[in-house]
Amino acid sequence: MELTDPMKNLLSRSAWTAVIVAGLLLFVLSCVDKKDARFLKVGLPEEPKTFNIWLASDANSKKILSLIYQPLYLRDPETLDLIPWLASGEPQYDPATISYTVRLKPAKWSDGSHLTSYDVAFTASLIKEFKIPRYYSSWKFIKKIETPDNHTVRFYLEEPKAIFLTRTLTSSIVSKKEWADISQGARTQQKPLKALINHKVEKPMGCGPFVLEKWGRGTYIHLQKNRYFFGLHQEIGGRVLGPYVNDLLFKVYGTADVAVLALKKGDIDLFWWGIQPGYIDNLKQDRNIKIFYGKKSALYFLGFNLRTLPFSDVNLRKAVAVLVDKEFIISRILQEYGTRMDSIIPTGNRYWFCSDVSCYGDGMDRNQRIKEAYHILHTAGYTWEVPPVDEGGRVVPGKGIRMPDGQPMKKITILTPPADYDPHRAMSGMMIQEWLKVLGITAASRPMAFGALLDQIKGRHEFDAFILGYGRLSMDPDYLRNFFHSANDKERGWNMSGYNNPKFDRIAEKSASEMNPELRQKLIHEMQKIIMADVPYLPIYNPALLEAVRTDTFSGWVETLDGIGNIWSYCLVRQNDATSP
Amino acid sequence: MEVRKFVLKRFVEIFIIFFVILTVLFLLFRLAPGDPVTRMVDPTLTPEDSQHLIAQLGLDQPMGLQYLYYIKNFLTGNFGNSFHYGETVSSIIWSRLPNTIILFTTSILLSAFVGVFLGKIASWKKGTKTDTWMTLGALVCHTLFLPWLAMLMIWIFGFKIGWFPLNGMISPEIWMDPSSGVWLKILDVLHHMVLPLATLFSIHFGSYLLLMRSSMLDTLKEDYILTARAKGLEEKTIRNKHAAPNAALPVVTSVGISLAFSLSGGALTETVFSWPGIGRELVFAVSNSDYPLAQGSFLLIAIVVLMANLVVDVLYAYLDPRIKY
Repeated sequence: MELTDPMKNLLSRSAWTAVIVAGLLLFVLSCVDKKDARFLKVGLPEEPKTFNIWLASDANSKKILSLIYQPLYLRDPETLDLIPWLASGEPQYDPATISYTVRLKPAKWSDGSHLTSYDVAFTASLIKEFKIPRYYSSWKFIKKIETPDNHTVRFYLEEPKAIFLTRTLTSSIVSKKEWADISQGARTQQKPLKALINHKVEKPMGCGPFVLEKWGRGTYIHLQKNRYFFGLHQEIGGRVLGPYVNDLLFKVYGTADVAVLALKKGDIDLFWWGIQPGYIDNLKQDRNIKIFYGKKSALYFLGFNLRTLPFSDVNLRKAVAVLVDKEFIISRILQEYGTRMDSIIPTGNRYWFCSDVSCYGDGMDRNQRIKEAYHILHTAGYTWEVPPVDEGGRVVPGKGIRMPDGQPMKKITILTPPADYDPHRAMSGMMIQEWLKVLGITAASRPMAFGALLDQIKGRHEFDAFILGYGRLSMDPDYLRNFFHSANDKERGWNMSGYNNPKFDRIAEKSASEMNPELRQKLIHEMQKIIMADVPYLPIYNPALLEAVRTDTFSGWVETLDGIGNIWSYCLVRQNDATSP
Repeated sequence: MEVRKFVLKRFVEIFIIFFVILTVLFLLFRLAPGDPVTRMVDPTLTPEDSQHLIAQLGLDQPMGLQYLYYIKNFLTGNFGNSFHYGETVSSIIWSRLPNTIILFTTSILLSAFVGVFLGKIASWKKGTKTDTWMTLGALVCHTLFLPWLAMLMIWIFGFKIGWFPLNGMISPEIWMDPSSGVWLKILDVLHHMVLPLATLFSIHFGSYLLLMRSSMLDTLKEDYILTARAKGLEEKTIRNKHAAPNAALPVVTSVGISLAFSLSGGALTETVFSWPGIGRELVFAVSNSDYPLAQGSFLLIAIVVLMANLVVDVLYAYLDPRIKY
């Protein structure tokens, strides 16, 4: 190939220009990058979608908003008890009027205006009037709210509701000043709720430790210390709060691989998302990185469809429960980074967790499980062409299982999310499919797109069994009622299994209105025992929460259930070489 | 047929095709299992909440009525609001589109330029070592798995050597600093562009090289090239003036369509490099049943691709005088 002289010149000039520009680029930018030591840099897996608190449903929006909008009460990170946050003391209950009186701390919004009882009342009326999803169920039973003075709020309940303390009082409070005009505008629209949630919030006005300084769309989020934060230098929950860092910088890392590299390189101080076990060995080699092994308030389970055969039979569900080797799933699939679950409520939720429940297959080896499952089914009237346990008591591959009425058992499908969404659940489904086959049950694990999976389970109820998980269950156990009360067995209802037990319903309703914590605890324990006896869901595991932080820049992270990424950490973490900002 | 008549005819065709796409898009999302509310795995969201939300989003209406609103809104330039962002679809698309254009359009143009240039050399030196190495290199690059190459680039140049940022489009520290000037900000974006651009370039230039090489080899067999040689013209003139312009025609089509599709970004590249483009939004919208955002993004791509087809057709007549409309 011959090049003309002008072309040679052009190429030569282009090459030199490129080299000079690249050199300049590297030099200038390597100098500038060092100017950011004051920032606490946090990696997020995705960009938050919105800062409109009423629309935010994604985890990342909620994380940022949790540092801006604040509730009246908050959970202590160690004891998990509710402690006054915006409130100045415990709520005073008056059984005669079914009312609670809450006194507020002196607090200000981020614009310097005072936070008053009227803001609390406004929040309640806004949620009730617009029936704001996710919030409405926690506020709808409030009959009226009185504001005797600027710092006192009295809530009158239609009937005693246990979730008032744990969910209503832990809901975020918004500023009347910020939302009054917006809500007024929304009222005039044909679809008021749509208008309210579609309102673009550029600068959310909160009273929390941080305020939004700038949202560089698609690139970063900058939060600054709120100088009006009510907890600043105050002792709350036995801790003198900061924040002790002036600036939080959130960056997006689309893959965990790059986030881990960023952590090692020092581009971020924390990746606010669980780290996969595969990265742990590599991260352990870096002496400036510390790994926190936390517990999650999570539930990963095998659910059955109780509306139709074959899982409408409790004996089959119990047999499957015995067959499922949870220890195997935890050791081989979760690589030991998880704990076995035997109840619906996670063990980390110490107050409500009941340990006295049926633990199917606990301590059994493979052959014992098969024999026990066979025994349950055989006693219930199931028959086989070739039983899984022969006359000599040896375990053999079972074949041709028939229901107690003599009909062959149909093929069972276990729906799971796809492996790219959650490899653990997809793999667990495949393992369970193999275990069922040993018993002579024809089973197939079928991973499917998450939206289609939920539609089939929650919407159309067309399934045999499924594996799903809740990664962040609330601390209040009222979800037990949501999951298993027969009233919730409807389209889009959370009783996905179609469980229907009048005794359970009665206790669940009683627990929802029981205001005495000790009595409610007994009821919640009773509910767990009933569920584990009937096994509409078989809890399998609770994955460990692995989080990694740099130790050479900031310290003081606070561990609690659901990890170190919590408001306490952000209020207490300090730069290593600074005493106070 | 005159060019004007041809263009007019093509506009009518484009309008019909676009209407079909508009309808298919609407049906595709509505008929897919699941809806935006069902996907929300939040036990605090009661069935009553779900119904209320569905009604507010207009998803409780009969599908025919929804379709009429959809067409009406489209004709008035209203793509609706994203279910998850709450913002208008057009504002989301316009905020992401420049980022996509900066990276992906640049990569296509750069790949095409280098690919055509090297393809021309490879074909001219057919059978030599230069041709073998170029063809082999192009094949290897073209078949590389993009996320793997991207991670390798990040690991070597971002992490190990540390010359370039690991990901993102800007350094927030620079952009938040009021003392940073415009040039520094431009340099910063260029600095962040290097790795994703190099990755995309490595993947794409090979296809242009191979396309140009193959097209050029076909052209070199044509009678007019033989005639040119018989006339005693210089080899350089034959190659650059007679062969290359004719051989470039399929490349023009390919570049035109690629440029149009570049607006859709690349979800994989954008995810690995955390590049805030439209590709990631598209994937998010589809996987979360955000109908308005998904529809708006796909319609934009459809319009641009259809128009690019038209432009390429007209350009053909300009580049090749033998083609008459």
